[in-house]
Amino acid sequence: MNQVLVMAIKDLRLLFRDKLGAFFIIGFPILMGLFFGMVMGGPSSAGAQSKIKIAMVDLDQSEVSGEFVRFMAAHESIALAESDYDAARESVRKGQRMAMVVLEKGFGETAGVFWNQPPTIQVGVDPSRAAEAAMLQGMVMEGIGQLAGQRMTDMSSMSDTLASARDDLAADETISPGNRLLFNTFLGSLENMQKSIDALQTDSSVSSAGPVNAGGFEFAKIESIDVSRKIDPKSQAGQMRQLKSKWDISFPQAMMWGVLACVAGFAISIARERTQGTMMRLQIAPITRSQILMGKALACFLSVILVVAFMIGLGMFLGMRPGNYWMLAIAALCVATCFTGIMMIMSNLGKTEQSVNGAGWAISMVMAMIGGAMIPVMFMPQFMQKLSYLSPIKWAILAVEGAVWREFSVAEMMLPCGILLVTGLVGMAVGTAILTRE
Amino acid sequence: MADSLATISSLRKSFGDLKAVDDLSFSIRQGETFGLLGPNGAGKTTTISMLVGLLKPDSGTVSIGSPECSNASDPTLPRVRKLVGVAPQTLSIYEAMSAKENLEFFGQLYGISGTKLRERVAWCLDFAQLADRAKSRVSTFSGGMKRRLNIAVALLHEPAVLLLDEPTVGVDPQSRNHIFECIQTLREQGMTILYTTHYMEEAQRLCDRVAIVDHGKLLALDTVDHLLRQYGGASVVTADLETTPNGVEIPGTRTGNTIRFEAQHPLEEVARLSGKGVAFQTLNIAQPNLESVFLTLTGRKLRDE
Repeated sequence: MNQVLVMAIKDLRLLFRDKLGAFFIIGFPILMGLFFGMVMGGPSSAGAQSKIKIAMVDLDQSEVSGEFVRFMAAHESIALAESDYDAARESVRKGQRMAMVVLEKGFGETAGVFWNQPPTIQVGVDPSRAAEAAMLQGMVMEGIGQLAGQRMTDMSSMSDTLASARDDLAADETISPGNRLLFNTFLGSLENMQKSIDALQTDSSVSSAGPVNAGGFEFAKIESIDVSRKIDPKSQAGQMRQLKSKWDISFPQAMMWGVLACVAGFAISIARERTQGTMMRLQIAPITRSQILMGKALACFLSVILVVAFMIGLGMFLGMRPGNYWMLAIAALCVATCFTGIMMIMSNLGKTEQSVNGAGWAISMVMAMIGGAMIPVMFMPQFMQKLSYLSPIKWAILAVEGAVWREFSVAEMMLPCGILLVTGLVGMAVGTAILTRE
Repeated sequence: MADSLATISSLRKSFGDLKAVDDLSFSIRQGETFGLLGPNGAGKTTTISMLVGLLKPDSGTVSIGSPECSNASDPTLPRVRKLVGVAPQTLSIYEAMSAKENLEFFGQLYGISGTKLRERVAWCLDFAQLADRAKSRVSTFSGGMKRRLNIAVALLHEPAVLLLDEPTVGVDPQSRNHIFECIQTLREQGMTILYTTHYMEEAQRLCDRVAIVDHGKLLALDTVDHLLRQYGGASVVTADLETTPNGVEIPGTRTGNTIRFEAQHPLEEVARLSGKGVAFQTLNIAQPNLESVFLTLTGRKLRDE
C-alpha cells in the first residue's frame, strides 16, 4: 500500500505541475460554474431583495380597482403584469409567476368603505413560495388601506359618499328608527372626522403597515385560489422550483469539466509513462503491475474528490447550500469511482499521448454534451434527455444534484450512485486487464 | 559458474518472424564489467528486457542472484528485482520533477526511507555531479546530466548488478567522458556491470569481457585482448619513406615512397627496418580493434547498418 501511495503522490504532483492541466482541472470549471450560474440566475436572484412576479386580474375595471392596480404596480417589491383569469392562473401553475391577484366585480364599490361588506380579493400563490405569500398578502392589504385612506381624505369623494349614504339611509324604509338614529349619528361622526382631518391638513396616506382589521373594520376578504398540482416535478419548471441557489445547477455541471480534465490527465499520464520510458523503470521496480495501476487509479480518484470538494466549497462560499452532506460525500465517492474506471479504459485508447489525448477528449466531449455538462439536461429536447441516460456525466450530475438540491432519498440516490459504481468498477476491471496484458 | 551474478542459458525470443535473440548464453561474473557489443537490432535490449523480467523468453532461462543468495533466480520476483539496477536506453526519469524528487520517488519504490533514503539520494547526486542542481527540474538539464541522473537512479538502491543499456547514446563527447569516469569509478568499487553498446571503443575501454552479438546470436565471448588476438588480425603499418638503403627488403606493397604492410608485431618490424637504415618520413600503425573483430566475424563493419 505504501508503494501505491508513493505512486499516487507522484502522479498528483506531476498533474498539478502541468499548469495548463491544472487550469483545466480547477480554473476552467470555476469559470464554467460562475458563467452558467450568472446566465441561469434562479431563486437567489429572485430572493428577498428582488421583485415578486404577480399576475393581476381586474374583473371590476372600475376607477377604484384601477387605482388599486396602479398602487400595486408601483410597489417596489412587485413586478406586476395584468392578465385575464385563465392566463394568470396558468402562469402561476407553470411557475412563471409567483402569484395571481383577482379583483372581483364590485370591488370599486366596497373597497375602502368601512360600512360596506369588505371586497373579496382572490389570491393564488405558488405553493413552493409560501414565504413570499404572506408578504404578498400584506402588500394587498396595504393597497386596500391606501384606497381607504384616499377615500377618507378625498374631500369631494368622501362628501359624495357620505351624502349618498344619507340618501340611501333615508330611502330605506326597512331600517328601524333606532338603527336609523344610530347610522345617522355614525355618518355625522364621520363627517366631523373628515372636517377635522381637513382642518389639520394631515397626510392622507395610511400606514403601509396598517392592520388588516383597522378599528374592527375588515379592509378586504382574501380568498385563496388553488393553483397547485399542475407542475410536473420532473419538468424544467418543476425542477427549477426546487432550486435554492443559482449555483445549484451550474456548479455540479461545471465540476464535471474538472472531473473530465482529471480523467484525461491521468489517461495521458499512463501513455506518457510509456513514451518517456518511466513505465519501464516502474515495471522493473520491486512492485507489481497491479500496484502501478492502483497508484494511478488512486491518484485519479483523489484528484476527482479534490475537484468535487473544491467546487462544492466554492459553491457554498457563493451561497449554495447542499441539502445532505452525507449524500454528497457518497455521491462524490461514486463519481470518483466511475471516472477512475473511465480513465483506466481511456488510457488504452492509444499508445501515444497524442492519440490518448485526442480520443479521450473526443469521448469526453460527447459525454459532456449529452450528459448535461454543457447545457443542463432539463433544458434539452426530449430525445436528448433520453440520450443523456447513456452518459456517465448525466448520472454524476444527478447524484451530486440529488444531494445538493433535489432532496433525493436514499432510495432515489441508489440509481445514479449504482450506475456510477458499476461503470467505474467495470472500467477498472477492463482497463486493468488490458494494461496488465500489455 | 559459482561466482556468476547473472546467467542466461539458451535464451530465445522472436517477434513474429524476427528472431531477436537466438540461443544466447552467457554469465556475468561478480565484479566484472561485461560488454554486450553489437549493431543496432542485434538483440541487446531484448536480452536486457528478458534479464530484468520485462519480456518473457520463448525458451531458455534467466537467473539473477549473488553467490550468497542461492535461491535468487526469477527476475520477476520483487526480491530479485532489488538486486538489479537498470539504466534503460530511453531516459526513464520524470522531467517535471527535480533530480532529488526523482531519486526520492524511486528510492521509496524500492522501500528505502528516512535517513537511509536521504543518504542514498545525497550519494547519487554526488556521483552524478548534480548536487548543485538537486532541486532543478530535469527538463532544464542537458542531455549528459539527464544520462547521469538516469544512471544514478539505477544505483540508488545499491544493486548487486548494474545494467547499462547504451548509456552514451545521444550524448556529447564531454558528457560521454564524464559517464565513462562514473563507470570507471564503479568498476574500481567492484560493481558488477552489464554494459551494452554498439560503440566498440567503449566496450574496448570499459569492459573486462565482451560478448559480440549479431542477429540475436552470440558470435564470440572473451576478454578484449583474447578477442583481438583471435579475430583482430594483424596490425597495419602505413609509412612514407625518406630514404631506403639498397638491398633492404621492404615488406608489403610500395607505391612511390609509400609502403603498407601487415604485421603481428608491427613495432618490432618497424625497428628492424630502422636498424637497416630505413628512414621514415611518416609512420602510422593501425592496431586491430573490436571493429576489425566484428568485421572478421560477420564480414561487415559494426556500423554498416
